[in-house]
Amino acid sequence: MSNPDNTPLFSRGTYTQPGASFPEVGASSAPLTSAAFFIGAFCKEYNEDFMLCKAENADPRHCLKEGRKVTRCTIDLLAKLKANCGDQFKAHWTCLDNKNHELNRCRAEERAFNQCVFDKLGLSKHIPDTPKGEEPIHLKSRPIFDY
Amino acid sequence: MSAPQQPYVQDMPPQGGFARVQYKRNIPARGPSGAALFAGLTAIVAYGWYWNIQGIRERREIRREQTWARIHLVPMLQAEQDRHEARMLAQQEEIERKAMKDVPGWKVGEKVYHTDRYVPPTVLVADNKFLNLF
Repeated sequence: MSNPDNTPLFSRGTYTQPGASFPEVGASSAPLTSAAFFIGAFCKEYNEDFMLCKAENADPRHCLKEGRKVTRCTIDLLAKLKANCGDQFKAHWTCLDNKNHELNRCRAEERAFNQCVFDKLGLSKHIPDTPKGEEPIHLKSRPIFDY
Repeated sequence: MSAPQQPYVQDMPPQGGFARVQYKRNIPARGPSGAALFAGLTAIVAYGWYWNIQGIRERREIRREQTWARIHLVPMLQAEQDRHEARMLAQQEEIERKAMKDVPGWKVGEKVYHTDRYVPPTVLVADNKFLNLF
């Protein structure tokens, strides 16, 4: 609506080197939060490459190549999510928008969305470091904090 | 007078005498014993504590989930910010090149620190009006 060119708003009007424009992700916070675990699963190698590169040298110009790969992967995944599970995706991030981006308040929509993504794209949500012997919070059948 | 008189009614005590008047205190011990009360109290407190601790653990897991969602988004957001900063630095270098082109012996983009690590700029002069000023 207010960003037809899909450029980050903070870069609007700043210097662009000739021939160096690059399509940015353009998603707002709710769809990104909703797709976060799938971004982590789908783009794992690129994310790790980028973070290792950043650990070597914090200069922004040092890791531009890996950064571009990360952004391309994220754009790819978001396009796939929209094409395959568009309705459930939109339902989940609309719910998140209304619930302060608290993931535990939108479990019903999340269940439908995760099921669709698993069926169509084969990606599943995994929370690392969950203590063994407990079911993960997003799969718990009778949570105490049940909104 | 010795004529037989009518029988008359007197206010006499009832047959067998009056009942005993209770004047001593009568507070019988009743209800659960002290031990039973303590046990019941302990049970209620333990029940409350158990669910409180379960709630704390669940809140920890919710927090873990929220944090991991943010962690997974960090590379993408950092890459975006890196491109923005690289653009700003390039613009600043261009302004510097234009401003100092008549100054002999000036190296554009020369490091001002004696370290190899990247030092984020304190001041970024990256505005189009400076580009066109020189």
